[in-house]
Amino acid sequence: MKLGLVIDTDTCVGCHACVVACKQWNTSGTLGPLTDYQPYGKEPSGVAFNRVRTYEVDTYPNNKTINMPVSCMHCETADCVTVCPTGASFKREEDGIVLVDQDKCMGCNLCAWACPYGARELDEAVGTMKKCTLCVDRIYDELLPEADRQPACVLTCPTSARVFGDFDDPDSEVSRLVRERNGYQPMSELGYNPVNHYLPTRHKPHAETTPGTPLPSLTERFKSWIGKSVSR
Amino acid sequence: MHPALSVIFFTVASGAGFGLVMLTISLHLLGGVPGMESSGTLAAILVGVVLATLGLLASTLHLANPKNAWRAFFRFRTSWLSREAVFSVLFYPCVMLYALGLWLFGGELAWWSAIAGTLAMLLALATVFTTGMIYASLRTIPQWNSPLVPANYLLLGLASGAVLLTALTVAFGGSAETVATMALVLLVIAGIAKGVYYFWIGKPQGPTINTALGITRSRIRMLEPGQSSDSFLNREFSFQAAAERILQLRLIVYVCGFILPFLMLVVLLRTDAAILALLAPLVVIGGLLAERWLFFAEARHVVNLYYGRQQC
Amino acid sequence: MKNKVLQMLFTPNGAVSSTEAASTTRELPYFEDHSAQEKRHTTCYMCACRCGIEVTVEANQVRFIRGNPDHPINKGVLCAKGNAGIMKQMSPAKLRNPLMRKPGTERGDGEFVEVSWDEALDVLTERLREIRATDPKKLAFFTGRDQMQALTGLWAQQFGTINWAAHGGFCSVNMAAAGLYSIGQSFWEFGDPDWDRAKYFMLWGVAEDHASNPIKIGIEKLKRRGAKFVAVNPVRTGYQAVADEWVPIRPGTDGMLALSMCHVLLSRDLVDWDYLGRYTNAPFLVIDNPGQADDGLIARDEAGKPLVWDTGQGVFVNGMTPGVEAAMVGEHTLPDGRRARTVMTLIAEKYLDEQYSPAKAAEVCGLSADTIERLALEMAHVAFRETIEIECEWTDWAGRKHDRFIGRPVAMHAMRGISAHSNGFQTCRALHLLQVFLGTIDVPGGHRAKAPFPRHTPPPVKPARETAPNTPLTAPPLGFPTSPDDLVIDDQGRPLRIDKAYSWEAPLANHGLMHMVITNAVNSDPYPIDTLILFMANMAWNSTMNTNSVQDMLRAKDANGDYKLPFLVVVDAFHSETVNFADLVLPDTTYLERHDAISMLDRPISEPDSPCDAVRVPVLAPDRNVRPWQEVMVDLAGRLGFPAFVDEQGQPKYRGYTDFITRWEKAPGIGFLAGWRGEDGTQHLRGAPNPQQWKKYKENGGFFQYHLPKHMRFYRFANRDYLEWAKEVGFNPSSEPIVMELYSEVLQKFRLAGQGLYDGPLPPETVDRERLVQYFDPLPQYYVPLEEQRVERERYPFHAINQRPMHMYHSWDSQNAWLRQITAENFLFMNRGRGERLGIEDKSWVWVESHHGRIRVQVKLMEGCQEDTVWTWNAIGKQSGAWGLSADAPESQRGFLMNHLISELLPAADDERRLTNSDPVTGQAAWYDLQVSITPAEPDEAGSSWPHFATVKPLPGATSPPDQLRYQTHEAVPLHRSLLDIFKRR
Repeated sequence: MKLGLVIDTDTCVGCHACVVACKQWNTSGTLGPLTDYQPYGKEPSGVAFNRVRTYEVDTYPNNKTINMPVSCMHCETADCVTVCPTGASFKREEDGIVLVDQDKCMGCNLCAWACPYGARELDEAVGTMKKCTLCVDRIYDELLPEADRQPACVLTCPTSARVFGDFDDPDSEVSRLVRERNGYQPMSELGYNPVNHYLPTRHKPHAETTPGTPLPSLTERFKSWIGKSVSR
Repeated sequence: MHPALSVIFFTVASGAGFGLVMLTISLHLLGGVPGMESSGTLAAILVGVVLATLGLLASTLHLANPKNAWRAFFRFRTSWLSREAVFSVLFYPCVMLYALGLWLFGGELAWWSAIAGTLAMLLALATVFTTGMIYASLRTIPQWNSPLVPANYLLLGLASGAVLLTALTVAFGGSAETVATMALVLLVIAGIAKGVYYFWIGKPQGPTINTALGITRSRIRMLEPGQSSDSFLNREFSFQAAAERILQLRLIVYVCGFILPFLMLVVLLRTDAAILALLAPLVVIGGLLAERWLFFAEARHVVNLYYGRQQC
Repeated sequence: MKNKVLQMLFTPNGAVSSTEAASTTRELPYFEDHSAQEKRHTTCYMCACRCGIEVTVEANQVRFIRGNPDHPINKGVLCAKGNAGIMKQMSPAKLRNPLMRKPGTERGDGEFVEVSWDEALDVLTERLREIRATDPKKLAFFTGRDQMQALTGLWAQQFGTINWAAHGGFCSVNMAAAGLYSIGQSFWEFGDPDWDRAKYFMLWGVAEDHASNPIKIGIEKLKRRGAKFVAVNPVRTGYQAVADEWVPIRPGTDGMLALSMCHVLLSRDLVDWDYLGRYTNAPFLVIDNPGQADDGLIARDEAGKPLVWDTGQGVFVNGMTPGVEAAMVGEHTLPDGRRARTVMTLIAEKYLDEQYSPAKAAEVCGLSADTIERLALEMAHVAFRETIEIECEWTDWAGRKHDRFIGRPVAMHAMRGISAHSNGFQTCRALHLLQVFLGTIDVPGGHRAKAPFPRHTPPPVKPARETAPNTPLTAPPLGFPTSPDDLVIDDQGRPLRIDKAYSWEAPLANHGLMHMVITNAVNSDPYPIDTLILFMANMAWNSTMNTNSVQDMLRAKDANGDYKLPFLVVVDAFHSETVNFADLVLPDTTYLERHDAISMLDRPISEPDSPCDAVRVPVLAPDRNVRPWQEVMVDLAGRLGFPAFVDEQGQPKYRGYTDFITRWEKAPGIGFLAGWRGEDGTQHLRGAPNPQQWKKYKENGGFFQYHLPKHMRFYRFANRDYLEWAKEVGFNPSSEPIVMELYSEVLQKFRLAGQGLYDGPLPPETVDRERLVQYFDPLPQYYVPLEEQRVERERYPFHAINQRPMHMYHSWDSQNAWLRQITAENFLFMNRGRGERLGIEDKSWVWVESHHGRIRVQVKLMEGCQEDTVWTWNAIGKQSGAWGLSADAPESQRGFLMNHLISELLPAADDERRLTNSDPVTGQAAWYDLQVSITPAEPDEAGSSWPHFATVKPLPGATSPPDQLRYQTHEAVPLHRSLLDIFKRR
């Protein structure tokens, strides 16, 4: 099994719902709490497993705004795992989820250095590395209704821009989406082979127009309607 | 990359320490450090070990959860950091055994002392190499992802070790000619290697904001970082030195790290001005601290692309 | 382990399923102790969308809030705000006790003493009793973004004060009023795009919310189906980001764009004639009698029915005669000799004029003429060439059977960006005209009404005017005037309401003018009041224009040293800036701690196919001495002896809010909650009170949804079965068809009054007469927004507007520890090219100046901003010390309010009283009319915003906020990696 996410940049409106849902679930989750620093102070920040940033492509008036949510890609070639000296960082054989064993992490940050996507953040209050767990504490919880066994970010996404599934299964929705919508891996040239894929914006051909029946002058247009009636 | 003082001190000190040990032992194995008593050799080993140890201790300061540091030996199979930890720890019994031989037998090499010395020398080399490889193995930082990095670490360790050895040789009343010449050669090679490195990182070559977003067309700019204050990612990766500062520091690197010590040693060879031999290591260490600060400050992690950088 | 996990399969939606789940996954620890958790369903209140939520509670703390998958509004999803509910609950700004201004201290000093509820309510009751017994309108009761206007309005009506309104006057009354006076419904709570069928969607002036999840869900549906999404907005963020086409319009000119598209459609004969002829007043005859009292009125028969010219029989007949062949265009002489033209004739003459040509509109809107024309023709293509049909038998108002619903799949949505201009009412009318031209109102694929809408144009409710001691009003304080006779003015034409709603200055102020209340009350204009109750409205900060002066007004004293506004009661759950000015603070509960009814009598949550309502139920017990305001209102109503709240003996009739909701009836069988009525709970929408009603809502996940039968889902304005049913369940008082009023006779009556021709009240002042003539065009019109008319364009070349980020709702969320990590300060965004040409650098500091004031702010340059526009996020800026934030929080140090630049009054003009900065028709606050100049700040001025206000003092008993938060409801259950695995794995 190769679990991961498909993220649709065509429908992501950058609302941060996934960011906060992630925070909410995971602060009481297996890697929790997700410490917040200066929550009511001068420089509010905190541990996040998922961040959304907004970009502008091209220049006015041809600009397009793109929202890019980024969380752990659960890479197949996960350097964050190989560089870890303690073995705290690991990729589950069963499903490919990359996790950090909090009781073994020494907080050297090397895994964060090895991650191109900024998916790992040190919890400075306890000194251990934290990251997206793909909600391993939700997706296998058989006490939850079947439809709810999905990562919190996927459940909450109002524009269905996040889809969770098994990339090993060619019939899964994630595999189908990647196939049909030309799903891609960001920064693929680094060779991490991320499991998560992104869907590009849909290309829409220009909409059709109807010319109607223009007349040489607006006065003629008006005159053409005199006497017109409609049955009430 | 954020230049953490603990890591800067660690790499410079342990590099010089291991370099000193490597050179001392290899000269000893080749027939003794010319013109130096065994007490001098022992002192050199001692200084090297102390420097390496101080460096290694400093390196644990940057651990956020040092109570788990002992686990760092477990992933020798894949992790360069783990390998560094293992090599550096194995180094100690070997170097102690070698030092014991030195203490017991003076300049004479017992067979076990020779083996221990050889091992210590190789482990010191391996440690410095693995230190370099920790950085060189990171595909996320184009400025590090090169064999030039471990080569630099080794050469700078050896060069600074050689300058230190020169100082110790002079301090213990020996003739500095051989070691100083060796130091001169190493300084020149290390300086050239560093120059090659600076040339190599001179033009951006890594991923771009376009590949990071997977949008190949058009210019891309960040509009909103999605965070109101710096996060861990910015604190760790967004450090950027001003171009002017970089230029100044590179000047210091060359002047203090290579040119000045080179000239001091040349003058030393000509005039036997011992004070120069004693000052040279301080100058070199100063230069290397600047070099190491730059090593981090000039490294640009690709995560910065997501914060609006065009290329790393 | 591997084998076991492989037994698990994936269902298509991605959820893990297993035939023997229990055994397969227990290689993993039990992360959650479900036995210690409880799931409760209630309604979100992090914004005004009212999504259903499922709250998991563990040890009286919130473990997780998620969308309720069965809920009609959000269908399981939840936005960032909703997901941050935990941190709302954790806010250190929560009020803890009733507070009274400390004796001997001045208002606004922020010195309070804690008092008991008994003491607080005794003081308030005494004061209110005195007011009610003398002059009830001396109580003004204004509420913010609450969702219980049916209750607060009833309370005000029972008290006997006409001085009540909610926040609509400074939110989107233009949108609501224009819709209700034109098509019997509107956008947002009134109607929705047909997300499932629309093939073309145009979004006008919608920032990042209004609505939140429903629009997001809808946009995704559109995109998945390949519909085209066009966004008309000066700024490309939020929803506009994913639009297929962005139309960067100059603010305040949308009306021109819409009318120019109407011009294009007319010029190409691309209008839905049948739709216009059957369902609108297009064929009605309008009297052409300049200078006379009947000029511009609809020609009517003796019974008052509108006349049309029957081309079949060649006679004038009642336009509501089924099957009449109504002439659409032309001029006729009425039997009495008066000339009359059809509405459609007036429309064609007006909009075919070159004044509305794309070339002319292009100059006004800052767009290209080609774009305007193309967009109109694209919509026409979808409406007329991609028509959809739903086979379904239905009966129209005249009893004629139809076998299908014809759908023109062009949908629109519009909100704040359209309505918060002083020409917004007419702009919204222009949008509706465009929608009607395309035949898209309440048809498949178009814009569909949500129950209780559509209502008649306008709904037959008139605002109350008379007040008397100890007497309830005979009508609700707010209603829909249809002529100058309905204005709330005295014999001299002076306003009777403190906000001057329904006066000549704002005749159709259906939602009141909350933004004028403090100014008018302090100026005793039209009269002084005694007590102002503000509920959930931050009127001393971001909800008011001219913030600085309003704070001064709240402190202002008369010659005797008494406060000009004698007593201010603030009801809120959090320590807002306004709390600081209160004489009495009544602490409210959070949304997770109280009951609420989101009622069909109020602002409904219905969906096009299903009338809906919902409740809130407490999921947490309050840990402070706070009470829900609705409980307090019911309590006060009993104490004060409001007739509807006491029995024959004068004793309180209701045991509290929930009891009131269950038993009170507006009309027989109609109460606050529509579901499970009747004594046994089997009747819906109408039925006797059911004592078990709250329980039923709880069992159903906190909401009620009634599915309309298929034949009652479209064309409801003319759908007989729907209209009769809607009358039966109390949505409408009559089952007459709802005729869309493209031509507004109501507006014409006011215009006649302006011309001095109306047979009834006439405005005494010239300025009012001029405004009525100018802005009460019975057909939609475009005019330059009022502030723009009065300031020099060269001096103030930029339009300045506010938007709200999707993760924040006004000031509700600056306190939120998770949301402020996303945004804690705001910037002034401007077009990069324009900024660079002016020598303004990214992130530099500038002065922004309007006719009224100036502020210093930090600039961010961006591409997606129309060149003449600057904008910022609304309400991020905070007064230092408020909202539980530290004194040095970026919200107060670098954040800012645009409000300082916006005056509640228009720039003065000679020989004229000061006029409200509002739409002249509805009194809608014209927030977005603001014109500004931008100049670089001096280098030593960089780094902090200006103006700065004194730091608000902490409240009694307040603890300083924590430096670090580590929220969790249970200790994390770790997932370990075995040492063996560490050694073994490559």
